[in-house]
Amino acid sequence: MTSTVTAATDLNVNVTSRRRIHWRKQGVAYLFLLPALIVFTLVTWYPILRTILYSFQEVNVAGVQGWVGFSNYVRMFGNPIFYTAWQNTLVYVLLSLVMGAMVPIALALMINEMRGLSSFFQTIVYLPTLIPITVGLIVWRQIYRPEGGLLNSLLGLMNLPPQLWLQDALLAKPALIVIMTWIGAGGSTLLYLYALREIPTELFEAAELDGFSVLDRVLYIALPLLRHRIQIMLVLQVIIVAQVFTEPFVLTGGGPANSTTSPVLEIYNAAFTRTDFGLASAWGVSMLVALSAFSILYIVFTRKDLDQD
Amino acid sequence: MGTANRGIMSNTEWRSFVGRFIGLFYLLVLMLAAILVLFPFLFSFTGGLHNSIDIVKPGFHLWPEKPLWDNYRDAWERFKLGRLFLNTAIAAGGGVIGQLVVSSLAAYSLSRLKPIGRNLIRAILLITLAVPGIVYLVPRYVVMADLDLIDNFMGLWLPYSASSFMILVLNNAFDQIPKDLYEAAEIDGASEVRMFLNITIPLSSSVLLVLGLFAFISFWGDFLWPFLILRDSNLQTISVRLFTLSRGFSLNLWMAASFIAMIPPGIAAFFLQRHAPKGGLTF
Repeated sequence: MTSTVTAATDLNVNVTSRRRIHWRKQGVAYLFLLPALIVFTLVTWYPILRTILYSFQEVNVAGVQGWVGFSNYVRMFGNPIFYTAWQNTLVYVLLSLVMGAMVPIALALMINEMRGLSSFFQTIVYLPTLIPITVGLIVWRQIYRPEGGLLNSLLGLMNLPPQLWLQDALLAKPALIVIMTWIGAGGSTLLYLYALREIPTELFEAAELDGFSVLDRVLYIALPLLRHRIQIMLVLQVIIVAQVFTEPFVLTGGGPANSTTSPVLEIYNAAFTRTDFGLASAWGVSMLVALSAFSILYIVFTRKDLDQD
Repeated sequence: MGTANRGIMSNTEWRSFVGRFIGLFYLLVLMLAAILVLFPFLFSFTGGLHNSIDIVKPGFHLWPEKPLWDNYRDAWERFKLGRLFLNTAIAAGGGVIGQLVVSSLAAYSLSRLKPIGRNLIRAILLITLAVPGIVYLVPRYVVMADLDLIDNFMGLWLPYSASSFMILVLNNAFDQIPKDLYEAAEIDGASEVRMFLNITIPLSSSVLLVLGLFAFISFWGDFLWPFLILRDSNLQTISVRLFTLSRGFSLNLWMAASFIAMIPPGIAAFFLQRHAPKGGLTF
């Protein structure tokens, strides 16, 4: 008890001079923060609040027309496209988890073994991520073209029937996922590769000396140690894939028969084609709610890494 | 800690019979993956060499009978690719500068100056990271319109500058800098700005470089936001313009233009490979 009293008196003695220094330093601190605060308020925080407000209003190019309560939400839930878009999202996510999770891990494991050649493969695998996305997509459109496209020509060479690909309601989504994997796998592969390289090689040496096969070493050492990284990447992938827009927008316009439309595409349509900003904001809030769970998961998983002070 | 040049297999194993077999298998798979990955590039390159009739002919034909190398010069002029590269470079470059400046100032404050409420600010930044940008796309557009920033590069630079990810990563990086350096500078009478410029920035150069490169690459290829903001065709970026022109020109020229558009990112990839491992970009 005495120690706390002494501490308290010490504080009392010093409080005035500390406070003086404090304010100036706080001022400088917030001055450094000011650009960020201004920018974030303008482009992020204020818009987020606005979206929630807009979803309860009728808004068009002329501005806010008035409050409409829940009618935007009623219209959104009443439109079958809402369910189609989210169903499509579920399929996109599942397909991309299957294709987009295994491929980068396998590639990373293999590139890791390639002495010397690894930087070559690293550069190549990352290239698709770098090109302007619309450029890559339209090239892929040529590959997928039903008459004269590359894939169907290849099928023709093997005497297989040509497919409609992007114009086939069943094939369109997987076709898009292949493209999305092509674009995105590079970054994931590199991240897994760096994670693999951080594993102390002594572990693999010891396992090898103990007679573990290569497959064993992969399954029982490499993969379990990558588990944390894999979880983060999967959660991130779900969040990213759920926001798919450019691929269906450029290649299929949401079709055929709405089989490739996504919530973001619907937001774009509502906002910029029909200038119904209120409805678009209602869709936005639905995305916010749906993705919050996953985002919070992502934060929980990465907290250990970001929070190292 | 692992050294370079050994993977899951040791070098001895690599040279053994089984090791060579596995190595060959890996090489084949990776070559196949490389072909699949590079194929669209090859496709657009050779597509650019076709004439406008052959390009739409069905059938598997990669290399045309008479490669029209002139198509490339043609495409450069007719698509005004020089202008497009300039626009895209301005958009991306300005965005990177904005993001680096805003984020490093904020990170310096959070890390070294420790304002009251910094944990709250960090928490808000973290939550912002969790909200998909699409959610507030519409009001963000309205804000830009109200500020009269449509058809203005500022309309791109402002949103580009707001990256809570970069602030948090830089915060973490700045925390690693030993306090003694700052204390020594303080004794010598350095101001905060001085210390920021002469201690923090130089010591974080590799993180800043890697983050900057990643940001540049992502802005270079960005589509939706430039599509909404830069309407004037003189200002449009590559991804937007090539999209809007995809039906206006014959396919072979378009392919040539798109191949040219893929070159700068390729160069950036090369630089990234050299610097990324040193950037300490461990998550």
